[in-house]
Amino acid sequence: MASSTPGVPERRGIPGAEFVEDVQTYLTQSGLNVNSALAFLLERLQQYKLVEMRLLAQQRNIQAKIPDIEKCLDMVATLQTEKGTGEARITDFEVSEGIYYCARIEDNDSVCLWLGANVMLEYSYEEATALLQKNLDNAKASLEVVDADLQFLRDQATITQGNAILLGPLMGLSCNICFAREFLVDGNVFFFFS
Amino acid sequence: MQQDGSSETEVTWEDQQNINKFGRLNNRFHELEDEIKIAKETNDNLEDASNELILTDEEVVRFQLGEVFAHVPKEGVESRIEQMKEVTSKNLEKHEEERDSILAQMADLKKILYGKFKDSINLEED
Repeated sequence: MASSTPGVPERRGIPGAEFVEDVQTYLTQSGLNVNSALAFLLERLQQYKLVEMRLLAQQRNIQAKIPDIEKCLDMVATLQTEKGTGEARITDFEVSEGIYYCARIEDNDSVCLWLGANVMLEYSYEEATALLQKNLDNAKASLEVVDADLQFLRDQATITQGNAILLGPLMGLSCNICFAREFLVDGNVFFFFS
Repeated sequence: MQQDGSSETEVTWEDQQNINKFGRLNNRFHELEDEIKIAKETNDNLEDASNELILTDEEVVRFQLGEVFAHVPKEGVESRIEQMKEVTSKNLEKHEEERDSILAQMADLKKILYGKFKDSINLEED
C-alpha cells in the first residue's frame, strides 16, 4: 500500500509532513528502525513547535498594528470633514500620564505622520489617507499570510503526530489520538500511551 | 486508531484530512470566541457611554479620537456612538454566525470520526 501523498508540500521554509498509511513500507523505505523513526518524528514536532511560536508572535504584532492604523485613518478622516467649518477644534491631549492639556487646533490642510525611526513627515490629508490605507492593506495581507502559514504548520504537525502514533503499536504500546487546543504551544506532545 | 492487533482501524489520507480540518475549525472557533467576547465588551461600553451621555447636562463632551480627547458637541457624540454601536453589532452578528457554522461543521466531523474510530479518538476539550 502506498505510504505517502504524491509530493509532500513545503511552505516558506516549513517542512511538510509525509503522511504514512502503512508503517512497514514507511520503515523499509526510510531505512529506519522503529526507535529512530519515532525520534525523528518527535524532533520534527519540536521544530514545528518553535516555528509556531515565531508565527504566533508575528501574528500578535500585526494584530496590534491594525487597530492603530485604523484609528489614525479615522482621525484624518475626521479632520478632513471638519475642515470646511473653519472653526478651530479644541482638544485635550496627554502631556504626561494622567495629565491632559487643552489645545486649539486651527484649520489646516495637512497632518504629520509618525513613520518610525524618529522620523515624522508632513502630508496633505489625501496623501496621509492614501499612505495609511496602503499600510493597513499591507498589514492585513501579511496577517493573511501568517494565518495561512499557521494553518499549514498545524496540519503538518497533526499529520506527524498521527504518524508517530502509528509507531506506538510496533513498540508494544497502544495509543489514542487526542485533541487539544494549541497542543504544540503547551510543550506537551499530546498522545497518550498506555 | 488503536492497533493492538485485534481491530485494524487504519487512518486513511481522507481521515487525516478530516482530522486536520477538525483541528483548523477548533482553532478558528477559539479565535472567534475571543473576538466575540471583545465585541460584547465593546458593545457594553458603548451602551454605558450613551447612557452617561443622556444623564450629563454638559453641552460639550470630550470624545476620544485616537490618543486625544476632542471637544465635541453632545449631539455629535450621540450620533458617533450610535454609528459605532451599529458597526460593533454587525461585527458581533457576523462572528456569531461564523461560530455557529463552525460548530455545526465540527459536529459533523465528530460524527464521521467517532463513527470510524469510536473510542480510539478523543475530540473533546478537557
